[in-house]
Amino acid sequence: MAYYFGSKRSRWTPYLLLLPGIFFYVLIALGPSIATSVYSFTNATGLKGAQIDWIGLDNYKEFLFMGQAAKDNFAALGRTLIFCFFVTTIQFGLGLLVAVIINQNLKGRNIFRTLYFMPVILGAVIQGLIWSLFLFPLGGPMARILELFGAQSEFLGGQPAEAFAWVIVIQIWANMGTTMIIFLSGLQTIGAEMYEAARIDGASSWQVFANVTWPLLTPSVNTNLTLNIIGSLQAWQLFLVLLGYRNGTQVLGYLIYAVGFGQTSGSVTSSFRQGYAAAASIILFLLVLVIGLGVNYILKRREERIMG
Amino acid sequence: MFKKMYSMLALLMVLSMILSACASTPAPSTGSDTPEDLTLKVLVHQNPPMVAFMEEFNKKFEEKYPYITVDMSVVNANDLSTVTQTRLTANDVDVVDMFGFANAAQPYMSQVDAPNWQQLIDAGLLMDLSDQPFVKNYDEAAIQDAGTYNGKVYEINLGRVSYSGIYYNKDLFTANNVKVPTTWSELVTACETFKSIDIPCMTAGGKDGWPIFVGAYGLIGSIYPDQEALVEGLWNGTIKWNDAKSLEMWEKMQVYARDMMEEGASGIGGDAAPGRFASGAVAMFPGGTWYGPAIEEAQPSFEWGYIPFPGSDNADDNKYLFGKYDQGWAVAANTPNKDAAMLYLAEFSDPENYQAFVDAVGFIPTQPTAQLNTAIGKEVAPYLENFRVGYEQYWIAPKGAGQFANPWASYFKPFGTDDDPKVLADKVQADLQSGLDAVK
Amino acid sequence: MSTMTKSVRNKKPVNWGRIGSYLILIIFAIIYLGPLLVLVNTSLKTMPSFMKDATGLARELHFQNFVEAWTKANFPKYLFNSLIYTVSATTIYIITAVFVSFPIARNYVKFSGPLLTLFVIALFLPPALIPQFQLILNLGLYNNPIGYIMLFIVNPIGIVILVNYIKSVPKELDEAAALDGCGYFRFVWSIVIPLIKPAIATVVVLHAIGIWNEIIAPTIYLTSEKYYPITRGLIVFQGVYGSNWPNLAAAVLMLTLPMLILFLFLQRYIISGLTSGSVKG
Repeated sequence: MAYYFGSKRSRWTPYLLLLPGIFFYVLIALGPSIATSVYSFTNATGLKGAQIDWIGLDNYKEFLFMGQAAKDNFAALGRTLIFCFFVTTIQFGLGLLVAVIINQNLKGRNIFRTLYFMPVILGAVIQGLIWSLFLFPLGGPMARILELFGAQSEFLGGQPAEAFAWVIVIQIWANMGTTMIIFLSGLQTIGAEMYEAARIDGASSWQVFANVTWPLLTPSVNTNLTLNIIGSLQAWQLFLVLLGYRNGTQVLGYLIYAVGFGQTSGSVTSSFRQGYAAAASIILFLLVLVIGLGVNYILKRREERIMG
Repeated sequence: MFKKMYSMLALLMVLSMILSACASTPAPSTGSDTPEDLTLKVLVHQNPPMVAFMEEFNKKFEEKYPYITVDMSVVNANDLSTVTQTRLTANDVDVVDMFGFANAAQPYMSQVDAPNWQQLIDAGLLMDLSDQPFVKNYDEAAIQDAGTYNGKVYEINLGRVSYSGIYYNKDLFTANNVKVPTTWSELVTACETFKSIDIPCMTAGGKDGWPIFVGAYGLIGSIYPDQEALVEGLWNGTIKWNDAKSLEMWEKMQVYARDMMEEGASGIGGDAAPGRFASGAVAMFPGGTWYGPAIEEAQPSFEWGYIPFPGSDNADDNKYLFGKYDQGWAVAANTPNKDAAMLYLAEFSDPENYQAFVDAVGFIPTQPTAQLNTAIGKEVAPYLENFRVGYEQYWIAPKGAGQFANPWASYFKPFGTDDDPKVLADKVQADLQSGLDAVK
Repeated sequence: MSTMTKSVRNKKPVNWGRIGSYLILIIFAIIYLGPLLVLVNTSLKTMPSFMKDATGLARELHFQNFVEAWTKANFPKYLFNSLIYTVSATTIYIITAVFVSFPIARNYVKFSGPLLTLFVIALFLPPALIPQFQLILNLGLYNNPIGYIMLFIVNPIGIVILVNYIKSVPKELDEAAALDGCGYFRFVWSIVIPLIKPAIATVVVLHAIGIWNEIIAPTIYLTSEKYYPITRGLIVFQGVYGSNWPNLAAAVLMLTLPMLILFLFLQRYIISGLTSGSVKG
């Protein structure tokens, strides 16, 4: 790649300016994560003065192969993928739709945009609280709406599949605002004259979208797909606040949180099991990595095809 | 030019090391006779009445010992064990509040991880309190069951709670001429009577799962009054969750979950249940003694009583209250403020202060001289002699056990997915067995 | 020619596209507003009335909750800390992130590809609570605002957003600026940054909200009360056996306000209308 800003000494300016960011990244994010992967081969408790033994792959074997618990873990893995698929596709689609509409010169668009972004500002704990209330089965707002149609539901307390579906809905409700603003910022890169030109050619709204907006939006599409996939694969907070540790609803991210914080079952026993929790999170990491990099590869090829 | 990058990196590394070296120099402690000003760091979990009491107590303590400043920090109950871990590691705490000091790993349990209090002691992070005079203020059982490990005392426990009881609505019972049940069949009849006149029989925070489990505790308790033996039996295979005795328990649990609980109970959060009961619409509310204050707060004039859950048809089997030891105090082994920490616990353990504490939080006291003054305390007083520690306080699941390896009524519809007691019993035992086989 | 086409289109009697757009926006607005109003409703209830009927309409309009929340959660004291942490960490982060993202997007440094991959991988990294804690402890930055701020100057999401955005800034601009004698730093600082304002605004909002709402990290890293951020103050409304939801809801509404203002302020950069077409030069 050509570099225009001088040679010799000044050729190193970008490196120098890049350095702090890389340094902090290695120090604060990468380093501790590597330590986590080392932990995963030990029985570390994370306590000062406690003995640490090297136990090889035992933690991994326990998570993947030991008894019924391992089968339960695979069931959670399956649910994680289902959750990821629905959340990513729906959130992506709705976020795009809303962003494109809001990007028009409509009255009141500021209000709509702020409203859709509100849940992001509130954070997961509060999102959980307000939906628990909204879906309260005895006379809550949603129950009353259903009543009008002569229906009723236990919502989050219903059968696992139903409760799980509600978490998908709430996750999308909570995070669509992020998808929307990333698309909105991406839409700013498309100049008015591009639309103008298309309209002069007599293109319909759909044609404008398909031939101008969509291809030129490629960078935001990539950003959003990547973030949605990762966000939904790692999700756990909403499961914690909405459902708790409930059989038939757990996803991997929540499983790991539960192990790390010792809240795995009705037994009050909680042990410091940093080694095991580390192994579980490395397994989730590998899963997310494979899916994430796979999707990234496809997106990159597409981007090269479109953007040249 | 890469050299420049590396030297820069090295410089930053050195800088951060200098930074750390400077900051972690410990202040030297002096051993003079006149007490120097010091700060005692106390960690507690968030429980509003308890925190309110502690703030009052700290104020008085600081007045009595002007050279001590108490720095109490409050964390969410969920984060307590993590923060205990980090603060002990950082040597940044003197007195800690601890939960669940009960279920030591037993010799017959293979490959289990010790519970966290045991790990803390094994790592040498908690102080031996055996010789402290204030330990004697507490009843022996409490010190023994929830404070002693390897013959040494590491925690003083501050109270018990019971969870195998049912709150009942006195007005609804009198108005409809229903007898307060003492046996299982009376309970079934009572529920049928209420339902026949469109009064929901029971409510509970079914959305959270565990309130359904503790509500039906009497069903486990009436079959296995000795819960420690139950745990051993499950581990060595002499008791199975699908044997004839247990099957009867599952059948009753199904009646409880399906017929006794009101419609919609599976969507009510644990927070909302006391309010639902206090609204007066429901006849009964199975739950722990800790709900007492919440019910009072929601409806001060509401008349309620509390009885042990009648799980058996023999009234004598139903006189037990099952529960657990709640929080306790422990001291960091490496505290530089040992004397102050001991003064603090001694002051707290003073019978008068302790009484005020129990009155504030509504625990069943662990000091033999303390009185039960709260409304819920008066209700449980007649059953106190029969207080038993619940099974899950001893239980440590074998690694590899499935997620259904517990005696939970919440597996039944509408809370769970099951509707056949036999099928469920087999599944529960299989999930447990899978773990027992895996660790053999 | 163009004016003619336009006027023909404008003469359409009913603009169905516009009506459809509003319809969709309004349906979404209802879906968003409903649950949010529950929060407002809760904040206006008394505790007993909440316990009795959590979702019933708050007829009592108990504004006292806001006063109680303000004092009990120690807003005046902790709000300032929250502001300091959020502003300083976000500022440091954004500056370092721009200088990481730009050369990577432009391939101006060797191994740009692998570097970007490294940051994308960072998105997936497993949580490393205990090692991170030990790092901060060993740096002597435990229970220290600097250590706390340090935790938040890394965020790979922002890098990914920025890199993808910068790619849409034409490279010809770099060449032209360099020909005019503009140095690298000055180019990035005074030309690139203004051009990528929408992306920066997005990243600022997302990053700042993350810090503002953080609750676990201050619980673990800041043990002196004088350093508490405001989220740490909200804990007084929670309890093991039940929480004071009306107070909490009131506190949350107040807590949300600064971030809402930030968003309202920055959204004009996120969506600056169709006037910023100059990016495409």
